[in-house]
Amino acid sequence: MNQSMFIVWRESVEALLVIGILQVWISRQAEHSRLARFLWAGVLLGLLCSAGLAGLMLWAGEAMSGSQGEWAQAALTLLASGLMVQMVFWMHRHGATLKHSLVREADQRLARQGGWGVLLLALLAVSREGSETVVFLYGAGARLNGPALSLFAIGGLLGLVLAGLTVVVLRGSRRFISWSLFFALSEALLLLLGGALLVAAVDRISGQLLGMDLPEWVYGAFGESRWDSSALLSDSHGLGSLLADFAGYRAAPSLVTVLVLLGYWLWVGNGLRRSRPAA
Amino acid sequence: MRRALLLGSMLLSGTALAAPLPTYELSLQDGHFDPPQLVVKADERFKIVLNNIGQGPAEFESTPLRVEKVLSPGVTTFVVIHPLKPGVYPFFDEFNPQLPEGSILAQ
Repeated sequence: MNQSMFIVWRESVEALLVIGILQVWISRQAEHSRLARFLWAGVLLGLLCSAGLAGLMLWAGEAMSGSQGEWAQAALTLLASGLMVQMVFWMHRHGATLKHSLVREADQRLARQGGWGVLLLALLAVSREGSETVVFLYGAGARLNGPALSLFAIGGLLGLVLAGLTVVVLRGSRRFISWSLFFALSEALLLLLGGALLVAAVDRISGQLLGMDLPEWVYGAFGESRWDSSALLSDSHGLGSLLADFAGYRAAPSLVTVLVLLGYWLWVGNGLRRSRPAA
Repeated sequence: MRRALLLGSMLLSGTALAAPLPTYELSLQDGHFDPPQLVVKADERFKIVLNNIGQGPAEFESTPLRVEKVLSPGVTTFVVIHPLKPGVYPFFDEFNPQLPEGSILAQ
């Protein structure tokens, strides 16, 4: 029971955080009911996609875990990372409190432009981790029966509740800090996640390239570790592992990983400066 | 142009033309690994053939090895790992996190 609880919590907390942040932000907008429809449509589609992807993994496992599956997952991860950044720029540009500062017409345009981004981001956030959760629950659930199965199901449900509570607690912290701080923290969290997704995609792509017949320098750039800080902070346990999941930390990164993450933060920093809300 | 096409087709098909990579085998069975410690040669690329012989799905995961892979029951697949400096690199089954980790010993 503890096990299924922990795994469901771990797999769903990231998606719930993203949804939670979007939902709070949307609730502050004049066009909130329209934007909220995009958000919940994205969540719903994400759940459907989770089930579909999980079905593929279970019944077409060989193909999904092969090379094409890896490239597809890398592409989805890259898209999710890009959307995360685009969403932050969008939120940043339009500010946390544009209720009073924008005319209605502009709000409608904003809702149309941003709505699809919101929908796609929610969809990807839910389906990426959601499909793995479904595979896990289905696989483990199918082997158990009787009381063990009930305990397992209760554990899974508790995990989801716990993840929900985590987000509620984080949102509750809003009472003690200002809106601008809350959104600054939200933006930072989304950007860190965007970086983590980017690094995960690079790992996946590198793994594929390493398996091919390519010039030696490709292996050097994508494979070889440039340094090893695992003695200081290991990326497989504790804080280092958390930083790996939420910020893309790698104790022994390849040259490409370092350059990509560096480029990402330079680009994001520059983008944020440019998209400062017009006061 | 021809080279680009060749590279493109290789990227798509994912085929390797060169000498076969050193290959090691690892079985996953509901969170248990066989062998629990895989001994590999340091400083060269290598391939691990993963075989899920358990009844449930597995998620072979390791941040230092840069791998995360879901395997449904009965699936055989492989991962290619970058050259490792001598040392011990842990991996685990994310769907069975309470069980002891496995590891790779590069030497």
